[in-house]
Amino acid sequence: MDRPIAYDKLAREDRFVRMRTRDVANAKIEQGMPPFPDLSSEASMRDRIHGILVGEMQAMEGAGRSVYDFPDAPWEFTLDMARQVWDESRHVETYLGLLDHLGGYVGEFPETTLLWRCACAEDAAARVAGVNRGLEGLACDVFNQLIHIARKMGDPVIERSVDYVLADEITHVRMGSRWLNELTRGDAERRRRAIEFQDSIDERFNLGGQRQDGHHEVVPISIAKDARRLAGFTDEEIERLVKSTQRSQVY
Amino acid sequence: MRILGGWIALTPEVDAKLLFGRHVWDCAQHADLWGKRLPELRAAAQVSEPGGPAVVAAFDLIETAERPEQTVERVTAIYRVVKPHLATVYERHLAVANPVYEPPTRRILLRCIEEERRHAAAGALVLERLFARDRASADRARLWERKLLDALGAARGVTGDVELPLVAEPATPPERASVAQDLVTPPSGFDVEAALGDLAAPLAAHRAALARGELAAVRGELGGEAPPEAVVEYARLVPPFERVEVVGVARIGRQRVVKLALAGPRGRQVLQERWTPTEAGWRIVTVEVTDSTS
Ligand SMILES: [Fe+2]
Ligand SMILES: [Fe+2]
Repeated sequence: MDRPIAYDKLAREDRFVRMRTRDVANAKIEQGMPPFPDLSSEASMRDRIHGILVGEMQAMEGAGRSVYDFPDAPWEFTLDMARQVWDESRHVETYLGLLDHLGGYVGEFPETTLLWRCACAEDAAARVAGVNRGLEGLACDVFNQLIHIARKMGDPVIERSVDYVLADEITHVRMGSRWLNELTRGDAERRRRAIEFQDSIDERFNLGGQRQDGHHEVVPISIAKDARRLAGFTDEEIERLVKSTQRSQVY
Repeated sequence: MRILGGWIALTPEVDAKLLFGRHVWDCAQHADLWGKRLPELRAAAQVSEPGGPAVVAAFDLIETAERPEQTVERVTAIYRVVKPHLATVYERHLAVANPVYEPPTRRILLRCIEEERRHAAAGALVLERLFARDRASADRARLWERKLLDALGAARGVTGDVELPLVAEPATPPERASVAQDLVTPPSGFDVEAALGDLAAPLAAHRAALARGELAAVRGELGGEAPPEAVVEYARLVPPFERVEVVGVARIGRQRVVKLALAGPRGRQVLQERWTPTEAGWRIVTVEVTDSTS
């Protein structure tokens, strides 16, 4: 097996329809829809849950690759990645259940492979910075909002399930914070590149500009500052993220 | 642990993917327990080496099964060979581990035996599902198992000194309920007609035209906004096709992305088309041949 494998080797059952993130967003914009589901309808809710489901699957696959790709990394790093694989496999199961709960089916919405692509980064430090801190940090924001909306809708199934998953995600972001530091100790250049990779993800994948600083009732997706602090983000990093959302692109 | 981790992304079937995902962490904990036990026995912590070059060769052989259609080989290797073999080795070690001064080792052995046997039983159930989808794969599994056992036999097992047989049946098989915790029900199929809605009728005609290889008629269904590359994509198809099956239907608002599997004498191709409703009926806006005969 190659270390790492080419990103187009990601294997799926036929029922999954894979598309580029940009193409899906454009197809939505053409139809007057927001590029990222705004949870304003049942279909939009299913779209969001389906997007998270495939994201969880890619997170499991990416963490699995990190177990395989870095035999020379510290053993504790491998142990953390193996733990993450197990967590993500349970998240997949949870979201399969939630999709069913909402009357959806696997494959009902296109799958984009953004997380997987980031998980194919060659450097372990870049991988944990980009995936664990960048994308799973973003997942904390999204899950926090989902819990808030589920509570408002009176759907305890979604509210509680996502709350459990959020707890794990905070742990994964924390793992990312730890390993970004440990793997790049004494190597300023490697650290700079890893953080740059994370910053580029934070700027590019900002949920169509919906993620902002502010309360749930005021902004579409609120940056989950408390969850991020628990996960090892410094106040300075959170400030930087807030600034980056103010100049973000569409996707 | 490492091989299972690496294979998750390479395995299409959701239930097999999740089986591997479930077990990577258990395997990691086993390795961790052994790694921590080592310094207690005057060796370096978390340092391991293979039992010999033949062991390396056997595991290299296992790793060769990395193509998407080789899930049966992957599950067979880990769940019919490696895990039952490890459990066998552990059971024999337990039988001779001194109960007075080796309890630390015995406890690790007991945990590993229980979990490896449970994993193997879960793997056997997933394998049954895979065989049910493709009857011929059971023969492939038997051949692959034989080949791997031969390679492992040449190495005299993982430790290089294991007596035959390399795999012994468990004294007491794991309980069904405990095995169930390792399994995820595969997602159910979807109702193609319901997913297509009023696209179902025009799509039926479209599939028939594709099967007959009437590509001019197919191209006629392209909408005005379809890019010129769409025509080029259709040119990559090699009709006729005996079967044109709908395998995926995704929605983007009012649009539908339909995935068709086309099977013909020259192989299998997968066509992905995005359809949009217009005043003149459903039209295709993008086309992609995502997988073709090579
Ligand atoms: Fe997750
Ligand atoms: Fe995660």
